[in-house]
Amino acid sequence: MSKSLLIISRQAPWAGPSAREALDIALAGGAFDLPLGLLFLDDGVFQLLPEQQPSALQQKDLTANLQALPMFGVEALYVASRSLSERGLSEQPLALPVEQLDDSALSLLVDRYDQVITI
Amino acid sequence: MATLHLLSHSPFSDSRFASCLRLLGPQDGLLLSGDAVYALQPGTAQLQALQLMPDSIAVYALDEDLQARHLPVPERALAVDYPAFVELCATYAKVNSWL
Repeated sequence: MSKSLLIISRQAPWAGPSAREALDIALAGGAFDLPLGLLFLDDGVFQLLPEQQPSALQQKDLTANLQALPMFGVEALYVASRSLSERGLSEQPLALPVEQLDDSALSLLVDRYDQVITI
Repeated sequence: MATLHLLSHSPFSDSRFASCLRLLGPQDGLLLSGDAVYALQPGTAQLQALQLMPDSIAVYALDEDLQARHLPVPERALAVDYPAFVELCATYAKVNSWL
């Protein structure tokens, strides 16, 4: 039985490679049927906003990669509700179906996985 | 001697934004680029802090960074392109980059 992995993605999407790299790990792990979870925390929640136009910065859109997650078997998708509310995004429709978790649920989530990586 | 302050880091993930607001002079300007434009996200304490500043402090934001993040331009701020960015740097007596 392979060990389960929780990926915590906490960087905004366009200022550096971190957001894309966290997503690449999730997609690669999903392709190998690893039991994976992906949590969007802190500025990582900005990855979930619809209608972003990274072409203005000569960057490739991450939306397609995000939407590929369920197809790669990565269906355990979570977002920290505190991170959303701090950024005025609580009522904002998001680009992916993600489960909102409060602080106490977050520690239980981390507890459930064998391994954790934060990017 | 007015200073143009350049911010490029997210106001949610570190303290540059808050520190900068504390030491702004009444004639200073603030230019947001990169993840710093998230300070204009509606419904946040960060945008409210900008709106509470005296009108004498100009707030600029780089247009392409706003577009990439699908952020609206609030009344308090003016969207600028790179040529206007350069012009602003020359207009103010000093430029302070919050690297």
